Formats: sequence, structure tokens, C-alpha cells
Amino acid sequence: MENGEERIHLLKYRTYVFVWFGLVCLTMLTYTVAVGIHPGGWAVLVALAIAGTKSSLVLTYFMHLKSEKPLIFKVIIPLVLAVFLVFILLTFSDVVFRGVVE
Amino acid sequence: MDEVKAPAIEEAIDYTGAKLGMWLFILSELLLFGGMFILYAVHRYKSPGDFHHASTELDVFLGTLNTIILLTSSLSVAVSITAIQKGERRLSIVLLMVTMALGLLFLVNKGFEWTTKIGHGIYPNSPTLLARSKGEILFFGLYYVMTGLHGLHVLVGVCVLCVMLILIAKGKLTQMHFTPLENAGLYWHLVDIIWIFLYPLFYLIT
Repeated sequence: MENGEERIHLLKYRTYVFVWFGLVCLTMLTYTVAVGIHPGGWAVLVALAIAGTKSSLVLTYFMHLKSEKPLIFKVIIPLVLAVFLVFILLTFSDVVFRGVVE
Repeated sequence: MDEVKAPAIEEAIDYTGAKLGMWLFILSELLLFGGMFILYAVHRYKSPGDFHHASTELDVFLGTLNTIILLTSSLSVAVSITAIQKGERRLSIVLLMVTMALGLLFLVNKGFEWTTKIGHGIYPNSPTLLARSKGEILFFGLYYVMTGLHGLHVLVGVCVLCVMLILIAKGKLTQMHFTPLENAGLYWHLVDIIWIFLYPLFYLIT
């Protein structure tokens, strides 16, 4: 019970509002790039880069990863992302080369 | 004296354990949606033209509006959690209500969107849709499955937040004991993150 204060590093309300504002700006950016600029072949990469940035903002500030002390919280997410990357690579190594290598 | 110390230690262990359990669940959810994102990527790679064409039929305004709604609900739940940690119970309750209202608003918009599409005869296995090209059929199939499963998550999130609201009102969640609310918040942010990816991939294909 007594450790209520020391275990949590409280963020200021203002910080959350700043993060929210950043997220809304990035949403407008992804919209403008897709609808106004038409980056062609780069479209998916730009969209995913912006979505990735937004996610990391949510993870770091809203989901408090920044202030989680135990190391495990910092390890499991890259681990799962690595597993996901392996899934993607294996799938696309099949999809892209099927019918090419005979 | 031992009896006094014991609960403190127990709760400290419980705190990390509860959070870790929630994170493992969230990561398994990410892989669940991840599988569908890979499916989407494969089909988009195979028929980029069809995906682009089908995407232009979606309502970009509603999609963008829903993105802003979910982002704002993430803000309100995050501040609500900090508020209860600071002992500002009333603010916490009000912001939880705001979060739930925004979640329901998201679902109402989604409902309008789906109803319009279904009104145009575009729904899984409909004759109008089956008459189209293979890529477009796949696009709308993935659209209904992925936004549908996401919508279900929003609905579950609203229910979970409702339970948290009742617990706060009953005094079961307090400044000293708020982990369930924090975990509910984590779930809500997960739903937000999934939408952050769904939005550009379905509404903004150029």
C-alpha cells in the first residue's frame, strides 16, 4: 500500500495533451500525403512509417512504457515484433518467388 | 508487524504480475491482427490496382473522423488513470464516461459506414460484390473482417471501461489500488493502435 507513489512516475496532464496533439497532427500528415501529394510507390512505406511513429507515441506515453521499471517490459515488445517480422519474411519469400523458381 | 508488511509486498508483486499478464494478452492480440495484416499485404501485393480502386469507394471523411475520435478517447482514458492516481476521483469518473461515449460514437459512425456499403449491395457474398474483380472481392472481405473484429474490440473495451466505472463508483478502485483500471486503459490503447494501422491501409490507398 505504501509504495503507491514510488512505483508510478506520474505524467503531467499537459504531457498527455501534447502527445494527443502530436497524434492528431500525424493523422493530418498521413491524410495530406495520401490525398494531396500521391507519393506513388512510396505511399505504403510513408503510411506505415507515420503509423509506426504514432504507435510508438501511444506505447511510450499513453501505455507508460517509458516509466515501466522491470526490464521485461522493454524486451517482450521487440521480441514479438521480431517474431512478426519472421512471419512476414517467410510469407513473402513464398509469395514473391512462387512460380519464379521452377 | 509482519502482518502489516505482508500486504505491501504482495501488492508490489501483484502489480508487475498483473501488468505483465495484460501485456502478454495485448501482444497475442497484436499477432492475431498481425496475421490478418499479412493476408492483406499479400493480396494487395498481388492486385494493387483492384485494392486502389476499391479503397476509393470508402468514406475517407468518416475514417479520418473516427481516427480523431479514437485518439481523443485514448487521451481521456490516459488522463482518467492519472487522475485516479492523484486522488481526483470525480475527474477520473467524468473522463471514463467521455471515453465510453467516444467509443460508442466510433461504433455509430462505423455502423453508418457499413449500412451505406450494404445499401449499395456491397457485403460478403453479395451478388453485386461477386460480379466484381477478384482483388476487389478480397479487399471488401478483408475490410469487413478486420474493421468488424476491431469494432468488436471497441465494444468489449467499452464494456470493460463500464465495469471499471462501476468499481470506481463503489470505491473498489482507489488512489492506492488502480491496476485494473490501468490494464483496461492498456486494452483501450491497443484498440487505438490497431486502428492507427487500419486507417491508412484501408482508407488511404493511392
